[in-house]
Amino acid sequence: MEANEKTVVIRGLVKRFGNFTAVDHISFEVSKGEIFGFLGANGAGKTTAIRILCGLSVPTSGEGTVAGFSIKNQQESIKKHIGYMSQKFSLYSDLKVWENIELFGGIYGLSDKQIKEKISSMLKALSMEDARDMFVRDMPLGWKQKLAFSIAMVHDPQIVFLDEPTGGVDPVTRRNFWEMIYEAASRGVTVFVTTHYMDEAEYCDRVSIMVDGRIEALGSPSQLKMQYGAVNMDEVFTKIAGRPGKQQ
Amino acid sequence: MKEILAFIQKEFWHIFRDRKTTLIVLVMPVVQIVLFGFAISTEVHNAVVDVVGDISDPVVQRIVNRIDVNEYLELGRILNSTSEVEARIRKGKSTAAVCFEDGFDKALTAEGKATVSIISDGADPNTAQMVTSYVSGVISSEQLSISTRTAGGGGATMRPNVQLMYNPAMNSSYNFVPGVMGLILMLICSMMTSVSIVKEKELGTLELVLVSPVKPFWIILSKLIPYLVLSAVNFISVLLLAVFVMDVPVNGSIALLSLVALIFVGSSLGLGLLVSVISSTQQTAMLLCGMGLTMPTMMLSGLIFPCESMPVALQIFSDIIPAKWFIIMVKKIMIQGAGISSIIKELTVLTGMMVFLLWFSIKKFRTRL
Amino acid sequence: MIAMWKYLLKKEFKQYLRDPGMPRMTLMFPFLIILVFPFAANMEVRNIKLAMVDTDHSEQSGLLMEKCASSGYFEIVDVTASPEKAQEMMDRGKIDAILTINAGFARMLEGSVPAEDAIPLGIKVNTVNGTRGSIGSQYLNACISSYIMSKKGGSIPGSAQIEVRETYLFNRFQDYKLFMIPALIVIAITMMCGFLPALNIVSEKEKGTIEQMNVTPVNKFAFIVCKMIPYVAVAFFMVFSCLLLAKIVFGYGCAGSLLDISIFTLAHIIVMASFGLLVSNYSENAQQAMFIIWFFSMVFMLISGIFTPVDSMPGWAKLVSYANPLTYYADAMRGIVLKGSSLADTWVDLVCLLGIGGLTTTWAVLSYHKTN
Repeated sequence: MEANEKTVVIRGLVKRFGNFTAVDHISFEVSKGEIFGFLGANGAGKTTAIRILCGLSVPTSGEGTVAGFSIKNQQESIKKHIGYMSQKFSLYSDLKVWENIELFGGIYGLSDKQIKEKISSMLKALSMEDARDMFVRDMPLGWKQKLAFSIAMVHDPQIVFLDEPTGGVDPVTRRNFWEMIYEAASRGVTVFVTTHYMDEAEYCDRVSIMVDGRIEALGSPSQLKMQYGAVNMDEVFTKIAGRPGKQQ
Repeated sequence: MKEILAFIQKEFWHIFRDRKTTLIVLVMPVVQIVLFGFAISTEVHNAVVDVVGDISDPVVQRIVNRIDVNEYLELGRILNSTSEVEARIRKGKSTAAVCFEDGFDKALTAEGKATVSIISDGADPNTAQMVTSYVSGVISSEQLSISTRTAGGGGATMRPNVQLMYNPAMNSSYNFVPGVMGLILMLICSMMTSVSIVKEKELGTLELVLVSPVKPFWIILSKLIPYLVLSAVNFISVLLLAVFVMDVPVNGSIALLSLVALIFVGSSLGLGLLVSVISSTQQTAMLLCGMGLTMPTMMLSGLIFPCESMPVALQIFSDIIPAKWFIIMVKKIMIQGAGISSIIKELTVLTGMMVFLLWFSIKKFRTRL
Repeated sequence: MIAMWKYLLKKEFKQYLRDPGMPRMTLMFPFLIILVFPFAANMEVRNIKLAMVDTDHSEQSGLLMEKCASSGYFEIVDVTASPEKAQEMMDRGKIDAILTINAGFARMLEGSVPAEDAIPLGIKVNTVNGTRGSIGSQYLNACISSYIMSKKGGSIPGSAQIEVRETYLFNRFQDYKLFMIPALIVIAITMMCGFLPALNIVSEKEKGTIEQMNVTPVNKFAFIVCKMIPYVAVAFFMVFSCLLLAKIVFGYGCAGSLLDISIFTLAHIIVMASFGLLVSNYSENAQQAMFIIWFFSMVFMLISGIFTPVDSMPGWAKLVSYANPLTYYADAMRGIVLKGSSLADTWVDLVCLLGIGGLTTTWAVLSYHKTN
């Protein structure tokens, strides 16, 4: 890990929808090049929190910066410096592989020359040179996910947000996928990942576990295992999330 | 049997969980029937008629007064010359103009002949002809009173006795409400069915169900039943509105009407199923129903434009539109009070269509999936 | 930022052209509009099915029948002596009208006028369709009076005659097709620029690709405009190909200026596009969007004067038609194509259209949030 350069700083973040509090005073920091795991059951508030960090949603209260820009009023600047890959697969299925790369490259303001280079280097890195002219809809799911990750990184962002990137993918592809994540982190990219596979949580540098909109535990996997006296992250998670709900 | 009931229950759950859509599907026909039932009418009312001529002339004045009190016509401006007529009509300010020659009354008494010309906006030939005939009607009634005064009655009253059957008040809702009923029922029904089935196809949940031990035929049927129920609710609400709000009578048997509606809904379900077989995405299904079915039904079913006036080729094409047969039957049952013997031909055709559509699409459904 | 537009446009055009249905539909629509629908859209009352009940059995009654048959409006289905049989035919929908010629018809024509007596003729018409019924009876009446006139020798001598001349402006041949073509173009543009883009946006929403776009620096305005451009291009293609086709097939040219047509088309596109965006903003899924769109398209089409005149609607329906952009666009298109109206004649339509456009655009932009 590099020095303590913080790329994400969040203080007392709250998001309410009417009476429902989806995110309830969460605070944390993420350093450059760190792989930060964001865990929680469905409806625990993970996706809402990520949407705020990506500038898709405005917080009800609280402060924070992502890549040095405020999450309250500098969303458009944030968007230029982050990559995002959502839980739904969201490349254009009626465009070809290279066309998707070109589109997103163009959107992030890469020049035609840079785009051309990106297309060839990316296809090479993914060993998809032969799939260049394939329609995205015809690709197997695992390929699509890897391609989506690469495209989320097309503009070399400082931070990349991955919202359950490995849902429905076979174990081998998942391992490949995590290799890509490590590789990105080693280049100094901060990786912010949500997952509900507990074995994946073990791969993270640090993990936070959300329950009912709050962060109930935060630390490295080994710290957490020790703290909760558990053998693996699965047990840690059961102990935390399995606890009776919030006490008023 | 038990499995089928379970399936049907599941389908109901599925539909009613999306409250907003269910609400839309149930409220939409109500709004539409009221809106269209009242608003669609080919009659011409309040057509603005300008007058060119000397308003102080006694005959002209009498004719103008007659135009003024005519319920279909509305008196526009008194213009000074014929040259202003065209501009007014072009701007859409008036539909027609009556132009009297100068010294109209004098010409009439002295020479026994005077000329009046009616200039109308031929852009819409239908309205133009109707307005022209109203205006010439007004003029001929003035002619009649002149003749009666000079020649003392007779002759001109030789008109046959006209009897208006079924709709003596000439209520235009009698003509359009059955048509609108057909259009709404058919499209909502087929749209609902096709879109939701294609959605399941897209999500892949349909394959999951089709591999279960229940025969595919029953699965598809159980999918259709909730839509049949929804359509029945729609039919009832539309019928109630037609009768109590639009004052369209039900002179025939309600049971027969319901039977006809049931068969019609059946064929619409078949159509919806057929669309869902053909299309692979929701968007295609929607376009096929929303545009591919709506336009031909509106134009060719006799809803607005009478099928009898179409060229033969289009008349033949209109025969394959189920709504056409439904509309004919509804008119006969509701307004003419016809019994089953009068609609046997239409009923047979529609039943045939239903059977064919359902059989064909269910068969295709199994092989295409 | 200009570069970004280039890539977004490239994407939209590629997607449009690759769609399984769109390009074909785009090409097919002008043909349908010009070659099929105008033939169906015919209000003319023709082929009125007539049955004769003849109890006079005279030469005169036969001649009257011939007169009706040769008028071109009627198709004589049956001649019978039984009124009951004719009535039954009407109940079954086999005939639209019955002409009854009672005994004494020939005598009446030969003899002197039995002054106040009713003449021995009767007409019964099916008025379920009021227009068809009343026009049918008018035609029958005209046939009868002209027959009686010809037999009894014209009008009453000594009385003054008002001579009525009829002139129809703008549509010399009184062709209903010419009246419908501009309106059908209006319908096509409405579908093309309001409803298709709306469906497209909703389906991007469902697929999640719009979310992906939202986390990029893409400006929402740019995204929507780029999405619209292919549809706008196609809309203009349709307008002009329809007009060209009408010219080639029917020989009907456009009486007004093509520039005016383009101005109105553009204004209408703005209205419809923002309306489509509004619908997509408020619907949760494609199914809902579809139903809402369908509902509005029916209202737009049927309460706009395109098929039935606005003047004959009740007051509240008139109000609906004033809020309907198609009312103005169709009115202007008909004016320009048929009457050669210029902007001086149609500016009210343009102002109203732009007014509605301003309202829907503002609303759509306010309700479309990239962030919430």
